[in-house]
Amino acid sequence: MGQQGDFLQVLQEQGYAMDTLFPSSKGSSALAHPELTTGTTVFAMKYADGVLVAGDRRATAGNVVMYDRTDKVLEIDRFSVMAIAGVPATAFEMARVLEHSFKYYRRSQLQDLSFEGKLRALSTLLKNNAPAALAGTGTVVPVYAGYDQLEGCGKIFFYDILGAEFEAVEYAVSGSGSSTIRGILYYMNRWGTGPVAGLNEEDALIFVLRLMTSAAEFDSATGGVDAQAQLYPIVKRVSAEGVRTIPSDRLKSLYSEKVLT
Amino acid sequence: MYEEPYRWIEAVANRRNYLDDQFSQGNPLVAVSFAKGILLLTVNRGTEKIYEIYDRIALGGMGHPADLEKLRYTLLDMAHVEGFQRSPSDVTVARLMKNGLAPVIKQAFEEIYKAPYITKVLLAEVGATQDRDRLFSINYDGMYEEQKEFGLLAASPSIRESLVEEWKAQERPTTLQNALEVSLRLWGIASLLQASTSSLDAEEEEIASATTAAVSTLPDDEAISARIQETLAKETLECVLLDRESGKMETYRTLTQSELQPLIPQYLIPAS
Repeated sequence: MGQQGDFLQVLQEQGYAMDTLFPSSKGSSALAHPELTTGTTVFAMKYADGVLVAGDRRATAGNVVMYDRTDKVLEIDRFSVMAIAGVPATAFEMARVLEHSFKYYRRSQLQDLSFEGKLRALSTLLKNNAPAALAGTGTVVPVYAGYDQLEGCGKIFFYDILGAEFEAVEYAVSGSGSSTIRGILYYMNRWGTGPVAGLNEEDALIFVLRLMTSAAEFDSATGGVDAQAQLYPIVKRVSAEGVRTIPSDRLKSLYSEKVLT
Repeated sequence: MYEEPYRWIEAVANRRNYLDDQFSQGNPLVAVSFAKGILLLTVNRGTEKIYEIYDRIALGGMGHPADLEKLRYTLLDMAHVEGFQRSPSDVTVARLMKNGLAPVIKQAFEEIYKAPYITKVLLAEVGATQDRDRLFSINYDGMYEEQKEFGLLAASPSIRESLVEEWKAQERPTTLQNALEVSLRLWGIASLLQASTSSLDAEEEEIASATTAAVSTLPDDEAISARIQETLAKETLECVLLDRESGKMETYRTLTQSELQPLIPQYLIPAS
């Protein structure tokens, strides 16, 4: 019965096995290279109106660039996004489960799932996925950002591969290129002109593009900006009005005016 | 005692009488397809009758709230599992009705040792263009049908027929305000016809509900307006728009009372 609004339970009753959702990795650990599968850069940072969440667009397998148009910042519902680093198959599946779980909850219970409830749902998925994550075949390290309507503010959470949940005060990063960004953000907040969380939207966007360019400089698995191919990071803004994708035209003009020069 | 075929038929006929009686006091529900989407309209006495099922699909119900709730869960489960395992565009109202709802309702109706569902259900799906809008309604016995542009739940088939005739004679609504006015009017007619049918005595009623022919005389405009005013004064108008132009995957939107107030034609607003 789905009386509690639990979509995962409904799926299981329909014969959908958790192991097919999150494959365990019997016998495949020799193939696992967890350090390679997280090649990416995603981050979320607070600014004056809410949260900006950004992700580069490169998908890699070892040294090979598989795809340059990946969307790693996934809209889960009107007020939350999940940025993923890790094995795409598992990460996209998790995003789909979450999206449907929240829709199902809202439609069946006739009320929105609370922000905390949403965080818990992601934590549960990660916990169930732990065996695959430890074996390296299903590692997912997401950053979750949303607008808490009850408290009226943007919030950022990050997770380890086992599902532990941590709230970030100002920013959270994930993926192989993230250490560069973490360093810059730390420096800016400590010795910069003012806290990054106080930036207006335009300045925050310029900052995001510069951060992504810096990450790509030092991490071969991060795509950065490729102006020639019209490839810009995916940037989403989470605020009281909900989630909005920043159009690439806007990123393009900011990039050519404020990043290149 | 129901082993003999004749007894079974008799039992099913009794069941029809019982159910028809249950619906005679119910509120009709109207769905109208127009350029902007599909408008679903009914009035309620505290329990909602219109619900979201999936991205482009809404349910409207008439009858017992507990039964409606059970069927709503059946549809929600089916739609969300389908949408997850295949794709949201594979969730269609035709399949929900034919594979999901109809067998369940029919079986409950014919298992004469168990209680039937005291509900009539309307399912609406908004398409990318108006000609792809779909409306289905199902009776308590599991008989369903697809309706074009205009869908209705009412106590008896004859009322349905009259309203379909009336809809055909009407000008097609173009705006939301238009659609609301048309829907309210059709609701008013259905409500009046229902009231006049249920005031007939048992024998007449049997004749009236057995025939699917349209009721010949429709109430005049004054009576319709009076009926609507009287209802709006004491019950809650419930309106949902499946918004074709929402620009998102999700189209379902409940119109709030403050949104509705300016849209209701002046002559239908009850004098306070």
